[in-house]
Amino acid sequence: MFLTLAGIRKRFGAVTALDGVSLAVDEGEFVCFLGPSGCGKTTLLRIIAGLETPDEATITLDGRDLMRVPARLRNFGIVFQSYSLFPNLTVARNIAYGLACRGWDADATRTRVEAMLDLVNLRDYAERRPHQLSGGQQQRVALARALAPQPRVLLLDEPLSALDAKVREDLRTEIKSLQSKLRVTTVMVTHDQHEAMELADRIVVMNRGAIEQVGPPRELYDRPANRFVADFLGRMNAWPDRDGRPVLGVRPEHVELVAAADAADGANGVIRGTIERVVFLGSVTRVVVRAGERPCIVELKGSRLDLAAGQPVALRAPGEALLRLEKPAA
Amino acid sequence: MSAAAAARSRPGEPAFDSDRALLALLLAGVAVPLLVFVVWPLAEILKLSFDTPKGLGLGNYAVYFATPKFARVLVNSLEVAVCATLITTVLAYGFAYAMQRCLPRGRRVLGAIALLPLYAPSLLQALGILFLLGRNGAIARTFGVDIDIYGFTGIVVADVFYAFPHAYLILSAALAIGDARLYESAEMLGAGRARIFRTVTLPATRYGLMSAVFVVFTIVITDFGNPMVIGGDYSVLATEIYNQVSGQGNMAMGAVIGVVLLVPAAIAVFVERWVARHHHAVLGDRSDPLRVVPSPARDRVALAYSALICGAIALIVLVVVVASFVTLWPYNLSMSLRHYHFEVQNGLAPLWTSIGVSLAAAVLGVVVVIVGAAVVRRLGPVLTQALYFLSVLPAAVPGMVLGLGYILAFNRPDNPLGFLYGSLAILVICNVYHYHAQGFLIATTAMSQVSRVFDEASTCLGGGLARTLGTVTLPLVAPALVSIGVFFFVRSMVTLSAVIFIVTPATQLAAVSVLLLDDSGNQNQAAAYSVCIMAVVAVALIALEATLALVRHRGGMRAPQLAAA
Ligand SMILES: Nc1ncnc2c1ncn2[C@@H]1O[C@H](COP(=O)(O)OP(=O)(O)O)[C@@H](O)[C@H]1O
Ligand SMILES: [Mg+2]
Repeated sequence: MFLTLAGIRKRFGAVTALDGVSLAVDEGEFVCFLGPSGCGKTTLLRIIAGLETPDEATITLDGRDLMRVPARLRNFGIVFQSYSLFPNLTVARNIAYGLACRGWDADATRTRVEAMLDLVNLRDYAERRPHQLSGGQQQRVALARALAPQPRVLLLDEPLSALDAKVREDLRTEIKSLQSKLRVTTVMVTHDQHEAMELADRIVVMNRGAIEQVGPPRELYDRPANRFVADFLGRMNAWPDRDGRPVLGVRPEHVELVAAADAADGANGVIRGTIERVVFLGSVTRVVVRAGERPCIVELKGSRLDLAAGQPVALRAPGEALLRLEKPAA
Repeated sequence: MSAAAAARSRPGEPAFDSDRALLALLLAGVAVPLLVFVVWPLAEILKLSFDTPKGLGLGNYAVYFATPKFARVLVNSLEVAVCATLITTVLAYGFAYAMQRCLPRGRRVLGAIALLPLYAPSLLQALGILFLLGRNGAIARTFGVDIDIYGFTGIVVADVFYAFPHAYLILSAALAIGDARLYESAEMLGAGRARIFRTVTLPATRYGLMSAVFVVFTIVITDFGNPMVIGGDYSVLATEIYNQVSGQGNMAMGAVIGVVLLVPAAIAVFVERWVARHHHAVLGDRSDPLRVVPSPARDRVALAYSALICGAIALIVLVVVVASFVTLWPYNLSMSLRHYHFEVQNGLAPLWTSIGVSLAAAVLGVVVVIVGAAVVRRLGPVLTQALYFLSVLPAAVPGMVLGLGYILAFNRPDNPLGFLYGSLAILVICNVYHYHAQGFLIATTAMSQVSRVFDEASTCLGGGLARTLGTVTLPLVAPALVSIGVFFFVRSMVTLSAVIFIVTPATQLAAVSVLLLDDSGNQNQAAAYSVCIMAVVAVALIALEATLALVRHRGGMRAPQLAAA
């Protein structure tokens, strides 16, 4: 493994930010830390960068102990959530900063800066100051600045969260294509499941300072290890088993709607209920059905004008769609 | 080291990191001089004050408090300080209120005039008051009345003017911010002006008020120049130290009185620091900024009041200037430059010495406090606390105490730094450390405006401490650097209390010349010398304004970017 983390613990006073996190990242891989706000994602990323001192940790890069290397010498590129371009330097000098730290000569620096400006499509902005750029442009420069010195690992801490929705989506695509082109090992923090699913080779779902599950987006969605992961990636209908636990779950798109009249009473796997709400979402229609104590969410393709609140319906979940959900680890 | 231990090692314990070495070096470079030039002199004073023929003990203090004359001096100092503090705070609160919460005509000019005393030698207030109200003053001569201003009254009046701008600046900052929502809801509840003031304004500015009280108290109780000039037989702690040390050569009693002065001053300073921290917490919350709407009647009252105060402040400065340019104030008012032929040790040379020393203090001061602020930013919490304490400690040390400490610590053959004594260098150093706390606080405030993200971004890109400072942090705080330089320059030009003990005939300073001239009965020449000092200070201030205007012009919209969260 390229980058390995083992037994990372970090407390801030009474708050346990990380409670024994271990993880291995392959070279060239794109990994996303996904989890709710305050679960320790940023702290973990900062520990990898060397900006935060863990209470306990083993971190290696290519088999070499990283804990003895200060942040300055790790050669990791980082892009922060807030704008971090040096306000007194031009775009070109910002990008050249890491090269100057490494003693590159003027010619090599110029060539590299131009290449990086091309890479993020900001060729004409070399002599601008950061305050003359939009938020999206600033983050692209920050990306170029982080990548210029050819870092071993690229670290991104919610680099898109300060941007407007449209810009965010464009930049998301740009990051993905950049990463596939450069094959730089990338670790990104996000609390946005769509961002994680679009970008990551593997997602690390975190909760309260611990890892709940690690895997490719598809696997986490189809086979979530527990309620927390299931709820965090998409929606999940869950029912207690006969004993109360563990629980059975089914994704809204896997639930089938059967007209109440057609469902033979007591037929296998059929539950009766009443439609509470119908929400038209464009490509799907979301139907909330009250069946027993808890509402069940059903997502149907296209628009379903035939359904309305108050109608009695029967629900059926195919056996192969049923998931067994463990309690969350944390 | 075993393999397991190696794997378990934490960052911050690398084999060798040049950056940490540099940080340690800078830390030593900041802390060691603070120990040598602040803590050591203090320790010498304490040691001497406890040193009795029978070993260390409280003997000297017993003598002090058993001597009615000395006990009286302490009471005098406290009386003056309490009186002047109350008067100054009340007057300055009214003035700050008029500036911040009313819209009198000529607000900016009035606000600028109120700051005049900051830029004059500390004894100028007393000098001006004597020209007006003294035995040979304008009033006494014109109306043939005999006013006795010397002593308690004179010191209080002079110190009120002297401390006024400090109180005004603090209270003005406190009154500048306010939550509009509070005032609107109070008004909607039908509260009258007096009631709103009592229930909203006053509580909201209580920390500023407390800060002002403690700052003014410290300034007044440690003031040396004004009591020297106008005190007559009314002795206070600061002048008594001088009397004991320079007059009687009694270092031990000087040290005892120094400690007696140090205690209330230090308490006031540390209480003020504590209050100021709370003040920041109050500022933190979100609130609607206050908008002051014109109100003709209120604004006229505000104008009358602030014009009265500014008139008095300006009158004192003006009378000193006029007195310096006439044949013999107040008898012969024809123009004359004769007072500018100074009959004092070395004539005008001390003015040039002062300018040189002040320029050096400005440069050294900027370097010292900016490095201090940069180091504090990078240290862990414990070291930060320690260095912060050391850095603001000088604020608690009265100038007379620091000066006496320098004699005790450096004027002796066994001190390897003894060669400094009697040199210009020790004057520069003394000024830098005398005003270290204020300079350091300006520097840390400026640095805290620069987001830490910039430091972290630089670090991750491979930038060391020196590069981060030189390329990013310092350029971003450049305007503050200029302000700090001018602050040290101006303070060094006008200060008297600390340097009075360490000047020699060869290293005479301008402010000391003013005191010597006044002491020898040459008030008109003292006035002329003060005018020269003020002229130099004015040039420095104009240069500062011009530089800042240039930076603002060139920097364009850079400032808001500083605080990228
Ligand atoms: N410098 C700090 N001081 C004190 N507590 C902190 C600090 N940084 C983070 N924390 C706490 O640690 C926990 C994890 O924070 P963080 O890593 O920022 O979470 P995330 O990035 O997932 O939102 C939170 O409870 C946060 O309040
Ligand atoms: Mg975060």
